[in-house]
Amino acid sequence: MGEVRFGQAINLALDESLENDPSVVVFGEDIARPGGPFGVTRGLQAKYGELRVRDTPISEATLVSAAVGAAMSGLKPVVEIMFMDFITLAMDGLVNQAAKARFMFGGQCSVPMVLRTPHGGGLNAGPQHSQCLEAWCAHIPGLKVVVPSNPADAYGLLKAAIADPDPVIFVENKALYAAKGPMEDAPGPLEIGQAHIARPGTDVTVVTYGATVKTALRSAGSLSESGIELEVIDLRSIQPWDEATVLASLSRTHRLIILHEAVTAFGTGAEIAARMADVGFDELDAPIVRVGAPFMPVPFAASLESQYLPDADDLIAAVHKVLA
Amino acid sequence: MPAISDLIMPKLGLTMTEGTIDEWALAPGDSFSSGDLVLVVETDKIANEIEAPADGTLHEIIVPVGETVPVGTVLARWDVGATAPAATHPPDAANNGEPSEVTAAEPAATAVVGGAGGGARVVATPLARRIADQERVDLHTVSGTGPKGRIKAEDVRKATLVAPAISEQPEPAGPPMAGTRLTPTAYQSAVAKRLTEAKRDTPHFYLSTEANVGALLDRRQRLNAENADLRISINHLIIAAVGKALGDIPQANRVWADGEILQFDTTDVGVAVTTNDGLFVPILRDIAPRGLGSVASSARDIVTRARDRALSQQDMTGGAITVSNAGMFDVTYMGSIINPGQSSILGVGSIRKIFRPDDEGRPVLCQEMGLVLSCDHRIFDGVGGLAFLNGIKDYLETPCKLLA
Repeated sequence: MGEVRFGQAINLALDESLENDPSVVVFGEDIARPGGPFGVTRGLQAKYGELRVRDTPISEATLVSAAVGAAMSGLKPVVEIMFMDFITLAMDGLVNQAAKARFMFGGQCSVPMVLRTPHGGGLNAGPQHSQCLEAWCAHIPGLKVVVPSNPADAYGLLKAAIADPDPVIFVENKALYAAKGPMEDAPGPLEIGQAHIARPGTDVTVVTYGATVKTALRSAGSLSESGIELEVIDLRSIQPWDEATVLASLSRTHRLIILHEAVTAFGTGAEIAARMADVGFDELDAPIVRVGAPFMPVPFAASLESQYLPDADDLIAAVHKVLA
Repeated sequence: MPAISDLIMPKLGLTMTEGTIDEWALAPGDSFSSGDLVLVVETDKIANEIEAPADGTLHEIIVPVGETVPVGTVLARWDVGATAPAATHPPDAANNGEPSEVTAAEPAATAVVGGAGGGARVVATPLARRIADQERVDLHTVSGTGPKGRIKAEDVRKATLVAPAISEQPEPAGPPMAGTRLTPTAYQSAVAKRLTEAKRDTPHFYLSTEANVGALLDRRQRLNAENADLRISINHLIIAAVGKALGDIPQANRVWADGEILQFDTTDVGVAVTTNDGLFVPILRDIAPRGLGSVASSARDIVTRARDRALSQQDMTGGAITVSNAGMFDVTYMGSIINPGQSSILGVGSIRKIFRPDDEGRPVLCQEMGLVLSCDHRIFDGVGGLAFLNGIKDYLETPCKLLA
């Protein structure tokens, strides 16, 4: 197939899922006729009809709760929350219903739904349209959270998420939609919870996911020129996350940095750092360092937002810190 | 943004592992400007004035005057402008504005401050501890190269190459020794540590000979009589002879440095100087190409500065050899311990009158000086050491060559 864009890869996974499985339905705000705010669902309603691909009223609580009910009664809904910031409104259906059903009904039912939603800044979309809230979801037992970093992974992970019997939050970084990447003609689904070593290296392990995988690879390229080899691990999935791969890498490099766009405090990096400080304690030859956004709302102004977002320089500074 | 940070014991020289607080020029609460004197740190070599890198305020003094602590120990808490250099922790590289991180104290570092008996807490990474445990290395003997003097895995691996593993030490037997126990001064402790290391870690061997310096003494007398400003001493002549011999034999101008051999480009010679504050070894630079007048004036200058406590760390760094002249006392031979970081030391005895047989066996009254060259066997073999010693002797016995 050659190169595809991130958004196209998601569209293709949705298209094939709708094609292959009549229980798959897609709904959300402006996703049907307009094709979604980022064009990801474009063409699906025309192809699969108004019953299976439909627009909903502007009520995240309603559409997510409807998805939970539909999933419990035999469908495989894939719903979209237009910006991850609006997941606040859908938390009851997600946290109190979707995440709990399998446990509370003694395994007699599950909630095979997928919630797709874009996170991340860089578009000057302001404090309420730019947040990375994936750690909220990862904190809830019963929810899975995947965050692809490239088109092929987005395709493979979305296929896996739709096939998964439990609720999966599928997080798409807005900055990636236009990004191109190679994809095979008929790639299989990826395994949720399996990380990918995006670049092998010997000196420092950088664990990351989503859009910051590119940041890490860029830093790795420039540091390599000065003889510092980063091992970049693309987690792909943060709940569950691939502890074994991270620990094995830490055992080779003895230094660990966790990089993500989300606010550092109480974030995904905190969990990984805490876990590695426990199971990987004797492997550490430097403090574990997190690189992420500062503890503040995402600023609107472009000049401020560019300072807010963690970049390659921030990562390189952290690398020098752990190598000191 | 100023934030309270740690003022740590700086590493002021390649071999510095600890320092003593000589003086705090500021009290807690004092504000200071960039360039103000903050404290004076005494190393085993010298007192160093530590200046403020930027404007700020001193909040708390953690290590009081007189205490000796390892490099990297937190000495005080201050807030100082963002341009703080090595003496403070660099601004958190990965700082992302998270409030808890900006003000993060470094509890591990504050705990470094040692109690009585030198039982300072070892700051080491978990991996370093694991390796030390496996290799049976005592981390107290390892100096850390990480931030705040933290011992890293690499430091332990290096230590395993030089230090033997901990052996089972028997409990000391017998009654306690009678006598009064005195607490050594910081200087005495530093000297004890440095020289113990030097004698333990450097494989010494010793070569001795006598130099007949009758002609040299005559020449010196005439030179000084005919040049009012020259004031050349015996020691100046010995320094010049050593410098010239180093120029002739570059193999002697090498030191063992971290598993490598360092060849110096210039013929630098250290001079042992006794002062009221103890023994110092300032280094005179590139002696071989210089005339006696230049050697003498440099030597006088550096001795004066040593006695005025005005030497910098730079003044005491480098050189492969030191000249230690005990000629003012009554000693025939003096075998010395090589100054750490160097590869030889020339111990010079007092000049003695002695009868020696001439070619026909008749006694001739000679003036002789005993020379003992202590050599580092990693740099010298016996033949190399003898070539160097005889080179020095040759210059001393043939003053025309020395003046050439």
